[in-house]
Amino acid sequence: MQNTGDESVPICDINYEGGLSLLYLLQLASPTLPVGAYSYSEGLETLVENGVIKHKSSLKHWLEQELCYGAIRLEAAVMLRAYYSAHMANAEVLRYWNHWLSAAKETEELRLQSWQMGKSLMQLMCSMPPIDMPVLSLESLAQTVGDPCNFAIAFGIAAAHGKIDAFHSLLGYLQAWATNLVTSGVKLIPLGQTSGQQLLLELQSPLVIAASEVLALRDDDLKSCGWGLALSSMTHETQYSRLFRS
Amino acid sequence: MNQSNRSLIDAETSVGWHGSLELVFAQRHGATQLTRNWTQAPLKVQRSFYPEGPNVCHSIVLHTAGGIVGGDRLSLNFQLEPDAHSLITTATASKIYRSNGLEAIQDMHMQVAAGACLEWFPLETIVFNGAIYRQGLQVELALGASWLGWEIMRFGRSARGERFLQGEWRSHTEIWQQGHPLWIDRQWLKGGEEMLDSPHGLAGQPVVASLSWVGAAVAPEIVMQARSLWTSKERQGEAGVTRLISGLLCRYRGASTAEARNWFIDVWQLLRSSLLGRPICIPRVWQI
Repeated sequence: MQNTGDESVPICDINYEGGLSLLYLLQLASPTLPVGAYSYSEGLETLVENGVIKHKSSLKHWLEQELCYGAIRLEAAVMLRAYYSAHMANAEVLRYWNHWLSAAKETEELRLQSWQMGKSLMQLMCSMPPIDMPVLSLESLAQTVGDPCNFAIAFGIAAAHGKIDAFHSLLGYLQAWATNLVTSGVKLIPLGQTSGQQLLLELQSPLVIAASEVLALRDDDLKSCGWGLALSSMTHETQYSRLFRS
Repeated sequence: MNQSNRSLIDAETSVGWHGSLELVFAQRHGATQLTRNWTQAPLKVQRSFYPEGPNVCHSIVLHTAGGIVGGDRLSLNFQLEPDAHSLITTATASKIYRSNGLEAIQDMHMQVAAGACLEWFPLETIVFNGAIYRQGLQVELALGASWLGWEIMRFGRSARGERFLQGEWRSHTEIWQQGHPLWIDRQWLKGGEEMLDSPHGLAGQPVVASLSWVGAAVAPEIVMQARSLWTSKERQGEAGVTRLISGLLCRYRGASTAEARNWFIDVWQLLRSSLLGRPICIPRVWQI
């Protein structure tokens, strides 16, 4: 046992493993993760251009609808399936869901976004010092999935390796997605930084609800309402002046 | 049979229709022939006809009960043998009535062999307020096979002011080739103002439609041309085009099933002339 100071708690009483997995999740879900998320708006650029999203409340409505009915639920559900497959070292299932997600993307632009971010994350993971315990090394998992690798698949593998539990992995995945789109909205609408942070706080409840619902989805329940996202993303593919790649 | 007759029958028997239809097409000496035809009421198929020559067989599927109610279970199976080319359509708009509490299910399986091409162009489906409907479409493509299809949906009998405020609609489409999915579309709409009115959902519009071509990668120029076919005319609704892993996808959201269908026919013409090297031939049953 080791004391770190007069008033301190002995280190063995601290949830050391829990602390490590939380730190791992914070790093994985951080906007500074170098996978290029900041260059994608997932159709928001078109929606702002067309006046559909023009203030904090309309951005919030869009993100809430995505969390309740949208494609992000399928993404998160597939991330969870990749997470379980990585845990069980089930290469066949991992490949299945990677193909599944590529085929289910609403548009080419969104598919290319997912592939680019997935590839970047896998490369990043493989260049990190190995974590103990993995059933399969990251290199062999990366090889198993192959290229293209969707971002949700790479995130699921990373979360499994970071020993993050399933629910927190989902929360982290959805929070990273929401943070990125709020940041895009702050630039595009534009909104003040404070409004962006307020919006993220207001999204906490929808994020927790979505994560717990996605946790319970069976394969047969994977469904979404994709008209708004598909049309805005298709329009974005030809938008004349663009800051974002999706 | 009209809706009131159907309701009476269903109330008496509390069992819906279990209709099925199985069609097999094969290529024989340059002609596509219907070689197997098995039907169970209320589904039927009309005699094959060849308005564009023997190469392409046109078939019309009929639903003789007028519409689908909760508890109905319909199953359609189309199989195309190598090099066959079939166009299958429906004689009338499909209607899905308000549910008695049970789900109505339509399952479709389409198998397309090498060199074969299946065109599936049903007329629009009208989903009545309160309908609970689930559709599954599974397409299995061999290498070198192609599939072109559309789905045009109207939610609520909007001409009489009805909206889809209750019920649920699901339409799951999966197209596979050699164990790999090429396109997975898991559409879902829950009746109610939230999804109907949100720009994320139907944006207040009653009609949505999709056209997809799967089987070969399309050049970016084809996508651009499909887009200009939309923008070159005055339109009311919204539309978009994108590339699938091995094909092309068009989506429509607006107020008019005719507007969606007319654009889709233009895109069909584009795809036929650039990918199949033949012009389109509009089935007379569409009455346009």
